[in-house]
Amino acid sequence: MKLSKEEIAHLAKLARLDLPEEKLEKITKDFGSILEYVGRIQKVDIQGVEPFTMPAKSEGWRPDKAFEVDEATRELILANFPERAGDLLAAPGVFETPKK
Amino acid sequence: MKPLNEITIAEARKLLDEGVVTSKELTKACLTQIQSLDGALHAFLEVYADDALAAADQSDQRRADGNVLSKLDGIPLAIKDNMLLQGKACTAGSKILQGHIAAYNSTAVRKLIEAGAVILGRTNMDEFAMGSSTEHSAYGPTKHPRDPERVPGGSSGGSAVAVAANMCLGALGSDTGGSIRQPASMCGIFGLKPTYGRVSRYGLMAMASSLDQIGPMTKCTEDAAIILETIQGQDPSDQTTSNEAAFKPDWKTSLKGLKIGLPKQAWQAGGIESRVLENTKAALAELEKAGAQMVEIDLPYADEALAVYYILMPCEVSANLARFDGMRYGLRKQGMPLFETYAQSRAEGFGDEVMRRILLGTFALSSGYIDAYYVCAKKVQALIRQAYAKAFQEVDLVVTPTCPATAFRMGEKLNDPLAMYLEDVFTVSVNVAGVPAISMPCQEDGGMPVGLQLIGKWFDEATVLSTARVLESELSKQ
Repeated sequence: MKLSKEEIAHLAKLARLDLPEEKLEKITKDFGSILEYVGRIQKVDIQGVEPFTMPAKSEGWRPDKAFEVDEATRELILANFPERAGDLLAAPGVFETPKK
Repeated sequence: MKPLNEITIAEARKLLDEGVVTSKELTKACLTQIQSLDGALHAFLEVYADDALAAADQSDQRRADGNVLSKLDGIPLAIKDNMLLQGKACTAGSKILQGHIAAYNSTAVRKLIEAGAVILGRTNMDEFAMGSSTEHSAYGPTKHPRDPERVPGGSSGGSAVAVAANMCLGALGSDTGGSIRQPASMCGIFGLKPTYGRVSRYGLMAMASSLDQIGPMTKCTEDAAIILETIQGQDPSDQTTSNEAAFKPDWKTSLKGLKIGLPKQAWQAGGIESRVLENTKAALAELEKAGAQMVEIDLPYADEALAVYYILMPCEVSANLARFDGMRYGLRKQGMPLFETYAQSRAEGFGDEVMRRILLGTFALSSGYIDAYYVCAKKVQALIRQAYAKAFQEVDLVVTPTCPATAFRMGEKLNDPLAMYLEDVFTVSVNVAGVPAISMPCQEDGGMPVGLQLIGKWFDEATVLSTARVLESELSKQ
């Protein structure tokens, strides 16, 4: 399994990573050997095997409700905002089509 | 008496209880060692000297009042930079989180604090725990304490060096595919990855949530047990924590009746350095002398486990690291439309290895490939767990070398990601199966340390640690 540089560029767009040409080239090269290595699992006989999933724990459920935090915690959360408008998080507009 | 920064937690506890030393003296000894060595080794990203001394004072006051909180009360420890400590910076070794301040405490660190431990600082790591050398930290590499030209292993390389170079009495690391055990092996200390579900990961920056586990990195087995007893337990904030009976040490003095399985897939694998083979085999001989019965076992899918890991882990990485989008915290490139804000903030904030894994995961989860990679890997994971379950019907422990080689030179594997991934060949299957394992140092001979890995049944840390302690005591007699 080998991916082309164009396919890597498409993955980068899906993953929201703006990568320059030389990084795309390097990653394309790295992917060659990594995909060849991990591809060995496709040779394992998995006929009739169910994919592993962690057993669900009923006691793991809790009511979906917001809880209060103290003022100091609240201030720490707000202080981490890259851009703030008072106590609100400022962000670029969301209703835009990706440009690339 | 040894210098105070060089003693174990168990020794310090005894001296504290006898009133021979104070927490402040222990803490000062560690801070002095950090000051003299960390310029060269770079184990710490930040040292909380004032807070640590204040916490030590409080601990000494508690002891004077007869209110000692736990065995860890007054013990100076270090934490890895991916565990939140409220009000302190936490970056996971990444530029994308430069300046990020933890808003709350991770459960493991909160339990240490409630036990009275003194937190000395946060230690260096491969960015978001992705790497096996600590060279992938955005804040510069950590050096091996015995040879600054070599890596200390990773990703918990900072914690390993802080312990090995006596800058703290113990530390926390996190282990997704070997990130506690591999640096412990390379630095000649003890590193325990508990059973998946034993320790809460609430407040640990997630790398691969189905594999991540927090554990102790220490100078002896007993210390690992003391820390595990403190940080373990069910946590409503981490649904994967188990309601199994709590770990309690069950120290034995003889290994009579213990059956140890040596998987031929590990011991007969090509590419194990001769020094590693010699040292680990000498340790096996000690286990046998102490009464353990050794049997060769078949543990299939050893090579496939690494492949499974390098599919499942990037898939979870690509999902977990989607939260670093420049919106609510961390780096944001300003003044551009939304898509560019995401894509440029992420490309600037993440290092190359992180982006490589995000892209691998994006690929393995993408439509048309998910069955051939992710789903197939989950099926092989089921087979790997079955193989361990079958092995443990026959034996009590499975033992392998921790790493195929001793600490490698800086830069040696930096441009060959696959070579770096192969470092994890003996450690990853433990995470894929979810079982507990310790890496402990073989005979000390002044050279590059070699680690032996003891793998136990699910939730049987007691046998893992008890056996490690017998071997530790046999080796120390030599």
